[in-house]
Amino acid sequence: MAYVIGIDIGGTFTDAFAASEAGRVAATKTPSTPPDFSQGFLSVLDDLADLLGISRRELLADTHYIVHGTTSTLNALVTGDVATVGFLTTRGHAGSIAIMNLEGRYAGLGSDQVQDMVLTNKPKPLVPPQLIRELDERIDHKGAEVVALDEAGTRTAIRELVAAGAQAIAVSLLWSFRNDAHERRVGQLIAEEAPDLYVALSCDVSPRIREYARSATTIMNTQVGPRLRNYLRPLEAELRERGFGGSLLVMQGSGGCVDSSDAPSRAITTIGSVLTGGVVGCTRMAEALGHRNVISTDMGGTTFLAGLVVDGEPVATTSTVLNQYQLNVPMVDVHTIGAGGGAIAWIDAGRNLRVGPRSAGARPGPACYGDGGTEPTVSDVDLLLGIINPDNFLGGRKKLSKDLAAGAVRTHLAGPLGLSVDDAAAAVYAIQNAQTADLVRKVVVTSGQDPRDFVLYAFGGAGPMHCASYAADLEVAEVVVPLGATAAVFSAYGLAASDIVLTAELSSPSNFPAPVEEFNAAFAHLRSELEDRLAAQKLHFAEVGYRNEADMRYTLQLAEVATPVPTEPVDVAGLQGIGNGFGELYERLYGKGSGFAEAGLQLITYRTRAVGVLPIRPLLAEINPGAGDPKPASIRRVFLDARRGWQDADIYDYRDLAAGHELKGPAVVEAPTTTVALPEGCIGRVDRLGNLVIRYTQA
Amino acid sequence: MPVIPVAGSEDFANVPTSPTETRRIVGDAVRLHDVDQSVIDNLDPLTYEVVRHRLTSVTEEMGEALKRMSGSVVVTDCNDFDAAIMDEVGDVVQVGLYNTELAASLDMAANWTLRHRATRPGIGPGDMFLCNDPWVGGGLHQNDVSLFAPLFIGGELFAWTGAVAHQVDLGGVSPGSWSVGAADVFWESTPIPPVKIVEAGEIRDDIEDMYLRRSRVPKLVALDLRAKIGANNVAHDRLRALCEKYGAPTVKAVMRRVLNDAESRLRAKLRELPDGSWSSVAHQDSARSGDRGIYKIICTLTKSDDQLVFDFTGTDPQVDGLINCTYAGLRGGIMPVLLTTVCGDIPWAPGGLYRCVEIISEPGTINNCTFPSGIGKASVASAWATTNVVTECLAGMLDAHPEHRQRLMSVCCGTWDFALLAGVDQRGSGFVTMLCDSMAGGLGARTHSDGVDTGGLACIPMGRVADVEMNEFSFPMLYLWRREEADSGGPGRYRGGVGASSCFIPYDSPLGGVHLVVSAPGKALPLAGGLSGGLPAGTQHDVLLRGTTVRADFASGRIPSTLGELGGQTEVLPTHHETDLGASDVYFTHWQGGGGYGDPLLREPEAVAADVIAHKVTRDAANEVYGVPLTTDGRVDEAATEARRSALRLSRAGLTEARQEINA
Amino acid sequence: MRLFIDDNLEQHDNGQVTCRQCDQVLGDAQSQLRDARVTETEPQTVGPSVRESPTLFADRPVILRRSFCPQCLTLLQAEIVPADEPSVRHRSLSVKP
Repeated sequence: MAYVIGIDIGGTFTDAFAASEAGRVAATKTPSTPPDFSQGFLSVLDDLADLLGISRRELLADTHYIVHGTTSTLNALVTGDVATVGFLTTRGHAGSIAIMNLEGRYAGLGSDQVQDMVLTNKPKPLVPPQLIRELDERIDHKGAEVVALDEAGTRTAIRELVAAGAQAIAVSLLWSFRNDAHERRVGQLIAEEAPDLYVALSCDVSPRIREYARSATTIMNTQVGPRLRNYLRPLEAELRERGFGGSLLVMQGSGGCVDSSDAPSRAITTIGSVLTGGVVGCTRMAEALGHRNVISTDMGGTTFLAGLVVDGEPVATTSTVLNQYQLNVPMVDVHTIGAGGGAIAWIDAGRNLRVGPRSAGARPGPACYGDGGTEPTVSDVDLLLGIINPDNFLGGRKKLSKDLAAGAVRTHLAGPLGLSVDDAAAAVYAIQNAQTADLVRKVVVTSGQDPRDFVLYAFGGAGPMHCASYAADLEVAEVVVPLGATAAVFSAYGLAASDIVLTAELSSPSNFPAPVEEFNAAFAHLRSELEDRLAAQKLHFAEVGYRNEADMRYTLQLAEVATPVPTEPVDVAGLQGIGNGFGELYERLYGKGSGFAEAGLQLITYRTRAVGVLPIRPLLAEINPGAGDPKPASIRRVFLDARRGWQDADIYDYRDLAAGHELKGPAVVEAPTTTVALPEGCIGRVDRLGNLVIRYTQA
Repeated sequence: MPVIPVAGSEDFANVPTSPTETRRIVGDAVRLHDVDQSVIDNLDPLTYEVVRHRLTSVTEEMGEALKRMSGSVVVTDCNDFDAAIMDEVGDVVQVGLYNTELAASLDMAANWTLRHRATRPGIGPGDMFLCNDPWVGGGLHQNDVSLFAPLFIGGELFAWTGAVAHQVDLGGVSPGSWSVGAADVFWESTPIPPVKIVEAGEIRDDIEDMYLRRSRVPKLVALDLRAKIGANNVAHDRLRALCEKYGAPTVKAVMRRVLNDAESRLRAKLRELPDGSWSSVAHQDSARSGDRGIYKIICTLTKSDDQLVFDFTGTDPQVDGLINCTYAGLRGGIMPVLLTTVCGDIPWAPGGLYRCVEIISEPGTINNCTFPSGIGKASVASAWATTNVVTECLAGMLDAHPEHRQRLMSVCCGTWDFALLAGVDQRGSGFVTMLCDSMAGGLGARTHSDGVDTGGLACIPMGRVADVEMNEFSFPMLYLWRREEADSGGPGRYRGGVGASSCFIPYDSPLGGVHLVVSAPGKALPLAGGLSGGLPAGTQHDVLLRGTTVRADFASGRIPSTLGELGGQTEVLPTHHETDLGASDVYFTHWQGGGGYGDPLLREPEAVAADVIAHKVTRDAANEVYGVPLTTDGRVDEAATEARRSALRLSRAGLTEARQEINA
Repeated sequence: MRLFIDDNLEQHDNGQVTCRQCDQVLGDAQSQLRDARVTETEPQTVGPSVRESPTLFADRPVILRRSFCPQCLTLLQAEIVPADEPSVRHRSLSVKP
């Protein structure tokens, strides 16, 4: 009996999912255990064993791998609770991380904040001045040595950093991705002068041109590397002690995982892992349902997240912004595009009704929670419109107050605008949905895609209450609300269902086309690096796949476009084809006639992605089929559509539904972790996995 | 040679014209869309908010499209571009968050085109007009090429969309089109008044050739033209879809209301502020190479109730040189400060905001020049200086209000430090590029915190500096350093943000060297003043070192980190200079920080100590200017500080101990 | 009602403008720095931020003009301008009735 397990440690909850090769599944959730999250990790394993009816030792002995996702790297960077890092760089260029290409003042901020320019600031410096040293050395754009490495000066600098309290050292020298000799030598000198220090070289962490992001990435990697190493080593030792013979894998933001022995040296790649579990889960769901293109939306209490799956693969980005710093981390491209159920509805100085971006968060929360919130939120409106059942929220665990919600709406919105409470609530609902549709459309369109080619998945506590409306505006083919057995621990399921994903890249900027031999040699080098790293994972793979791409641009443009490249070596004609492919992709993204090949092409960075497919793929559990029409549990008045106003809607209890059941709107489905709103003109069908699939029959 | 007025240039001397007057002039030549007041009155809050939000998304999409498609580093990195949606008469309803100076001139160009091109050649669906004549509008100098397109719905001209971006070279005596020796506009790129470059959806090859023929880098300029076409197309698609969904009358009603809303919110904020008048001055040194004059722009801002009057009486007459700006530049100088400091929380709908603003300015002055005055540098010369003086005036107005003073800044980096390189690159191709490192100027101090170090430029809320490596890949150069410069931020109780410097050599060019054009004032006097006892930011400092030892230094394993170490002959450059940088020459350019706020002797000593550790302030300045003498390990000595500050209070006011006793 | 004009100045209902650091009367609504002590010195006296002598670049003399509270000597205003230009940096706020 071979098991795979996914454990997702969030700030508040630890989710766990186990599946056996034969199809047995177990899912559980427990509060997280800061500051030592490993306690929660170990105790949730015990819970899984109990659910499966076996002993802890049996479970661990039979588990091939455990995939571990955690927010701790991200949290550490956000809170600043990180190792003390010393930074070594080329003389004359320490200013790079302070200047931040100036965009650090506003990176990651919404347009409302950018517009309020006087109130913007750069973040805290990554490294204080006493922990930075510059070295006499220089490599040029061709990789030639211009100034030899001053070894004596370097030794002195290392000693000074250690004396100043450095627990780890990050090294980033100009053009090291072209010629890493100096960085490697510095690494050796550090090993001699301070053997126990954690060291990261930018040529290992991020061999990509543009020194500011490369240095920031290397430094942040160094800030969290030691902690991750000190967390994983004892955890793995404890697991072995308890009988675990498999691999401990760590989830990365790229949508794949990596062995725990490999993770600390590339700790920065784990920062997105709390989001990627969900995206991977979404990809597996899409496979199971036969959907090639999916818009994945996740609307919780505080945030609204959107990501894309195209042709069965999550859309990824090669950069991200954290604490206003630019990082070279391949990430599944998840956009935080607004507030969630806690978004506050308010009236601005022009007496216009606005929704968000401010949020009531968890504290004080929506007015209807009765926890001290006085401002009306989207959740208050959902309650007033009859969508949420105040007695059946979170399975009845939390009682909500309609009076408090109505009071908040009356005081802050209806009164000042001269509207009834109902009309004000209906307006907020519609504005939230229209805004969401706008923002989701922007995500889709700026990827060069058309929403009409997509199916939309709606996750989260608040998403399904709105998805039928905001998706209608996008004209997607259908909407899927995951509600089956795995829905509550979807990200942990995603972890268990993930594969090993490794990325190798190297910047080698040149005019395009480069000589064919150089081009093929670059990819051969990346391929060989990945083969070595895959072997080092010490796992058995069902199959191994590679994908090549090249970041290309028209001469002197700002950003490159990642262009697909074949996995076999190419000839001159093949190179030409790649250039044409760039041109086509470019026009798809930016419009017909926008490309202009006569300006010349340049190739900046080579990249290869390797996927080691793990042999056990947990299946999503099916639910029982049902006969006849589903019976509503009750009827109540709801307001789901401005054109139709208040209507009597069938209210269904999710536990009464079976595969094949069809529901016609206006209707509401109450499930343990969420509520689904079906306006008139929608039909919801329960599929074999227990999801509710929504289609539009009329406009 | 005196500037000789050119007959007929009055036709191009554009001033904003009211919607009523515009409609009267256009008459039947073009059917202009309109909407009934009743539709505006009946707009429900839901529809208004949804459509308004979508209009904002459209300008964002236009801006993103421009950035991604452009090949011009000035666009992609300096954000020297903007995009706007305008109504049928050209009033700007929504402008992007890019170069806010440019928000002030797109309307003028669209409106002029309506009044002068409605017949011969006429304005129809699928047409796009190109303009880089700053007397007409569209941009502030010839490098700013605007492309604006009428959107027709139901046979009526419903709206205009526009995209404007700085092109790196459009001819003229000096590469980069800033002819540092210019006496008038005929030394520069010849302005093109609005011309129909796209007709019924197709580029007109004859007009495109005429446009590109004047540039040293026509292929890059052509790429940008397509970027602007693309941006307008994107906007038209979105707006058409919006009108299909909500109806053209509703969308237009929303546009009208956005303008009214912006106007009424600005008026409401103005009423909260005390009435008064605030006057100030901004200077510029040197109008062209060889010129050693200093020129002033004076502004008196008066606020009564909800109206602002900017009176530029006392401003110097226009000069022989490239630093004048047109009326569009004057408007463009006011707009950035108005938007960022007064309208930070108000929609950026200039069409509505301008209703609260009256401008008094005499044609023939340096920031309202007549044709054919030289304007090659207008956007960063007199328009920028106008921004500086308006910054001080508006800051004075905001400072009197306990809440609104949060959003004032002292003058930011006083000017654009222009350094243009041209020659042959490492790969054998010709190149012309403006170095955009000086985007990282210091921002002005605030009433509650220091200015942001290397935070950017006042007129550009976003912006980027290219990485050193990217510049070294793209151009034949090698940097000795790029770093923040201590003492460049204006001292004050709150310190102005520091500026920075770049120091580089020509490297790996087949020609051995590169051509260099420099134009950066602020050398005879600093251009970013301080407020409320804050001191001005540092002066501009550009130094060229000839015949240095830098290659020998490299060979011996050292990278020089001060100018002194480089040897050779030092040339401190004047404001405008054009020369060639040879293989053993080094160029150092040090751009400006932001002005300070409040008396430096009132700055928290711990903050000064932290400044010194972080290399924002030198020990000398800490002692001499802030009165904080630090211990050898950089800590505050309270007794010494108190003594030093007492002494400085006297000496800087020209008093001795004895005289102070007499006063007491 | 107290009206703070800036970091150093306060305007009172009777139109008087005083120093916020020491309450010294400095002027009135129309002429806020009327009684300020004004000095004019070489620009380089401001500190290291003036990198070169102005005479290198301009023919007209340039000065640093500073205005101080006559009592506590707080720096109220500073400008670096051509010597032959009288100060135009004025403000006047209307007095609330």
